[in-house]
Amino acid sequence: MTATLSDTLNVKRDIKHYDFGMPFWQATRQKKLVIQYCKSAKKYQHFPRPVSIFTGRRSDIEWREVSGKGTVFSFTIVHRGPPAFQGTEPYAIASVTLDVGVNLIAGVVNCPAEELKIGMKMKPYWHPLDNGEHLLMWQPDGDAT
Amino acid sequence: MSLRDNAIVAYAETKVMKKSDRDVWVLAGEILETLIDKTGFDKAEIDGLVMSGLTGTGGASMFWAQSTCDMLGLEVGFCEQVHTGGCSAVGAVARAAAAIDAGMCEVALCLYADTHVREHNGRNDRNYRRDWTDPYGLMGPPGAFGLLQRAYDAKYGVDLRALGKLAVTQRNHALLNENACEELRVPLSIEDYLNSRMIADPIRLLDCVMLADGAAGLIVTSRKRAKEKGLHNCVIPIGYAERTNFLGGDNLVDVTRSGHEIAGKKALAAAKLDIKNIRSFHPYDDFLIALVIQFEAFGFCQPGRGMAFARDTDLSYKGTLPMNTGGGQISAGQAACSSHNLIEAVRQIMGEAGERQVKDTSNALVTGIGWINYGRNWGSSAALALIPNQ
Repeated sequence: MTATLSDTLNVKRDIKHYDFGMPFWQATRQKKLVIQYCKSAKKYQHFPRPVSIFTGRRSDIEWREVSGKGTVFSFTIVHRGPPAFQGTEPYAIASVTLDVGVNLIAGVVNCPAEELKIGMKMKPYWHPLDNGEHLLMWQPDGDAT
Repeated sequence: MSLRDNAIVAYAETKVMKKSDRDVWVLAGEILETLIDKTGFDKAEIDGLVMSGLTGTGGASMFWAQSTCDMLGLEVGFCEQVHTGGCSAVGAVARAAAAIDAGMCEVALCLYADTHVREHNGRNDRNYRRDWTDPYGLMGPPGAFGLLQRAYDAKYGVDLRALGKLAVTQRNHALLNENACEELRVPLSIEDYLNSRMIADPIRLLDCVMLADGAAGLIVTSRKRAKEKGLHNCVIPIGYAERTNFLGGDNLVDVTRSGHEIAGKKALAAAKLDIKNIRSFHPYDDFLIALVIQFEAFGFCQPGRGMAFARDTDLSYKGTLPMNTGGGQISAGQAACSSHNLIEAVRQIMGEAGERQVKDTSNALVTGIGWINYGRNWGSSAALALIPNQ
């Protein structure tokens, strides 16, 4: 794993959203991370769902802004990507456990392959999309102790 | 009436092809003809059709099972398409038996025909992938299993030579299986496995299943009807269970655990079998690590001991726990709606596996894995216990 990792920022992305996930994408316009929270279970869930996965109730869902800080739960180095990503490999994708207790999968930037480790601290990197939204990616959280 | 009052009276299988030279319905027709020949059932007696929804060719059709009835000239009282992904093969047997028990049909054709390499019409992004993994270039199963295998490694440790041994064992079985994909029927060493190129590190090329084309089928009927028909060499499904969206109502889960914990216990309890007494094991294999996780979930060994179990157990057809004796999907090709391991288990119990025949055919356990969920392992888990007709 000594290869230089691509940040995949040049890949053209046209992301289709579900209406029930739009608060997430709207918040990214201000580079804010909001995550669904179940008022009854008092737990967070990600990815966004039309209902609480804990109670099955739509009315239990609210959106809360979170710091986006977390630790790497797992990661993979992609050596063979889907068509839009071919030619940019290798690049890293990490599943990061946010401090509010959900895993969030995203691409990794600003991180040499040899430094990417399970348990390392990450924070959001906001990659601008053409429509004014931002794509959440992970970068090492150098400030974390 | 119950599951065990039914019987699998015949199987049929085409050779697995890297890319089919003929249409999917031609393959389906070949399966139908073979099954009619083997059972002596008239086409008109087949009054149930259960198809797997795990089909790339049929993927764009909302009417796949019905149009297949139409193409094959079948008139049925039960027409079903099973949508539990890679669990659909074993799921079809359970649903056919349930339909027979419920009086909806008497003779069911479980049909597994797909030519997803020759003609892929399916889409699989009307789920979380669209905005939560596709934008990052996480490519389907290899990417997901890359995350899974590294998480397993962090928790329990991965023994690459143990994974390599699994690859070699299955490949050796494919060498003995003339229906396995010809391109895969070349000898393999553990070093070949270790040296195969990375796809989604830590997943290597030889960790992965290869898509291929082919078809297979089973005839399921009541034991009573089988007996009347003089079909004595048949296979009895004695325990089945499935679990979809295991721990789906929780936010953070242990990804080394799966619904097989539940499906396995339930199927074995119904079969009145202890896992230690399973005589051949035919686990769903899309990636080698899935085999290890299943050893643990089914209780062949303790959680975290799957690598050691793989290393210390002779899983060859001559061994103490014969596993995927037809090569598994990884060495035979992922064809025929992922029914390969099921068909092989039926063939083994009927004693028709030729030079790779296992000695003890008193039971077999077949499993399914279906769909990939977000950052966990898989969406559906299934288990089917089989015994010979007694």
